[in-house]
Amino acid sequence: MKFTKEQELLRQNVREFVKNELATYPDHVDETGEIPKDVMDKLAKYQFIGPIIPRKYGGAGADYVSYAIIMEEIARRCASTSTYITAGASLAALPLLNFGTEEQKMKYLKPLALGEKIGCFGLTEPGAGSDAGATATTAKLEGDYYILNGRKCFITNAPMADFAIISAVTDKTKGAKGISTFIVESSYEGWSVGAHENKMGIRGTQTSDIVLDNVKVPKENLLGGEGNGFKIMLNTLDSGRIGVAAQALGIAQGALDEATKYVKERVQFGRTLSKFQNTQFTLAQMATKVQAARLLVYDAAKTKDLGEKPGLQSSMAKYYAAEVANEVAYAALQLHGGYGYIKDYPIERIYRDARITSIYEGTSQVQQMVIAGYVLK
Amino acid sequence: MSKDVFVFIEQRDSELQKVGIELLGEARKLADSLNQDVVAMLLGYNIKSKAEMLIHHGANKVIVVDDEILNEYVTEPYAKAVCAIIKKYDPEIVLYGASSIGRDLAPRLASRIHTGLTADCTALEIDEESKNLLMTRPAFGGNLMATILCENHRPQMATVRPGVMQALKNNPDLKGEIVEEKIPFDKSDMNVVIKEVVKVESKKKDITEADVLVSGGRGIGAPDAFNMLGELADLLGAEVSASRATVDAGWIEKDRQVGQTGKTVRPEVYFALGISGAIQHIAGMEESELIIAINKNEEAGIFGVSDLGIVGDVHAIVPKLIELIKKEKKAKSEL
Repeated sequence: MKFTKEQELLRQNVREFVKNELATYPDHVDETGEIPKDVMDKLAKYQFIGPIIPRKYGGAGADYVSYAIIMEEIARRCASTSTYITAGASLAALPLLNFGTEEQKMKYLKPLALGEKIGCFGLTEPGAGSDAGATATTAKLEGDYYILNGRKCFITNAPMADFAIISAVTDKTKGAKGISTFIVESSYEGWSVGAHENKMGIRGTQTSDIVLDNVKVPKENLLGGEGNGFKIMLNTLDSGRIGVAAQALGIAQGALDEATKYVKERVQFGRTLSKFQNTQFTLAQMATKVQAARLLVYDAAKTKDLGEKPGLQSSMAKYYAAEVANEVAYAALQLHGGYGYIKDYPIERIYRDARITSIYEGTSQVQQMVIAGYVLK
Repeated sequence: MSKDVFVFIEQRDSELQKVGIELLGEARKLADSLNQDVVAMLLGYNIKSKAEMLIHHGANKVIVVDDEILNEYVTEPYAKAVCAIIKKYDPEIVLYGASSIGRDLAPRLASRIHTGLTADCTALEIDEESKNLLMTRPAFGGNLMATILCENHRPQMATVRPGVMQALKNNPDLKGEIVEEKIPFDKSDMNVVIKEVVKVESKKKDITEADVLVSGGRGIGAPDAFNMLGELADLLGAEVSASRATVDAGWIEKDRQVGQTGKTVRPEVYFALGISGAIQHIAGMEESELIIAINKNEEAGIFGVSDLGIVGDVHAIVPKLIELIKKEKKAKSEL
């Protein structure tokens, strides 16, 4: 895969940023459960949180390959931070970018890109995970307002969000075509969030329920017309998956980095682990898989940048990269032996962080459904 | 020839228990379809004055055994007295309440008299052709309803679940006969020494052990609403439980949470108040015997598993329910 000069420069840039700003930081984030405000501000300043948003709306105006580069390099060091980025940069931004009115873009997308507001994406519900069509949250039009009632769960960034993109049923007789999308501000009366979820990994990101109790949403906050919600959400995920796929790739690369470093230092039976053929073969396998995932990820990003529908490529990339992240993290921890099981070594955190990638933004099984759908067309 | 429907009337501290009155109502129906009489058996000490009340509730005759030895319930003297009455009068049917007393007493008598006994019945009926008593009871933890007959022995005996049968209205115009029986008790009949009868206010129980749970979800609106639920729970001898949403919101302690990440409960009655019914909650309570749901939203998932559902505001319905239960309790205490 050939990168342009700008893209190569960007990668250097992100690596510098990670080296300078995120050196000792992933452990801290993992322990405290939050990303420090100054890091969030810096991510905004470097325009890492809105890479694909046009300059007009305060973003970097870059392409998806650049977005994937940012995600890969940051996830390589800290998966929590990359999750924070993708929740805003794709999940909250894409629906606004692709379906928002000029007014909505100025009001929500711009402050999102500038880091002045934090957004989140409210699709999942207690009863509607992989089956997003089973949405039970309702929106009823009453005069100039929609009244929203329902509960969203596992929403990244929800506890600190200024607004959320929320899917709700406006016409239950129409099934998936009766779902609409709304921009809901957290300051509206009736909005509340549940307790912070105590997660296995990506512990630096904040995840909680959003509870909507008779929330009055102004009519102009309907996104993309009534009944288009399902389409908007799926369209968002098609492209958004590129971000998570790149994140999984970064985590896999990070695990490979840790394993490579460790086996060169650790001595047993009078030589370093790297001298054992088992170690060499394991590393070779890990490196090959990571590279294969990388090519899938950047192929998906490239497809999107060429203006083609990235659905198939992004599903393949997300599916494969996520599974590879898990396999590589497992193998990397195994190479660490007992020390890999101790929190003092970064691989322990990476192993936990990797696990979510094959679950969120569509499980591996949902990706397989999508891929099979294309294959059997 | 056996005849008449007999009812064992339970008293505690010389207060008639409601189950006995309920059974008189049921016995009246059975006796009417047999063209026979209802006879109440009232045992106790200084209890005679209560006999009239039983006639007002449907008994044609009351057999009273008034003796000091019957002051507190003890198996042997009670079994001896009831056995003597059954042998003397040869009833067709004898009913007992399925309370701790009835459940202790009835099997003794079935064994002494050598007849059949069906425990914990929920429905009784006379078979039109054979005139036998059809006794229906839940078996295997309520998964099977068994209808049992006692064809060749008399009396046909059953214990009946409290609260299942309808008492007749108090009618002071009803007339009946009161007969006093003397049973010759001796010292050996009192083979148990009662040292102390303790009445404890039941303390807060673990929700998995409660028979009745009053459970609140986010729909109750505010933490204060748990006071209202607590009042309902106290009236029902129930415990208060909750959904995860209220625990997350800090309205109630975590050990009250029902659901996949809380506790799994199987009470006899589960009140789901303002609970939407996400599968994560339902997984923790769907085995409850009776689920009563109150929710504003008629689309709420909870109505998919509830036996009884009310679409409406918890804050309007629960106070009315509390009022009704209080009224019912008051009526009972005046009995």
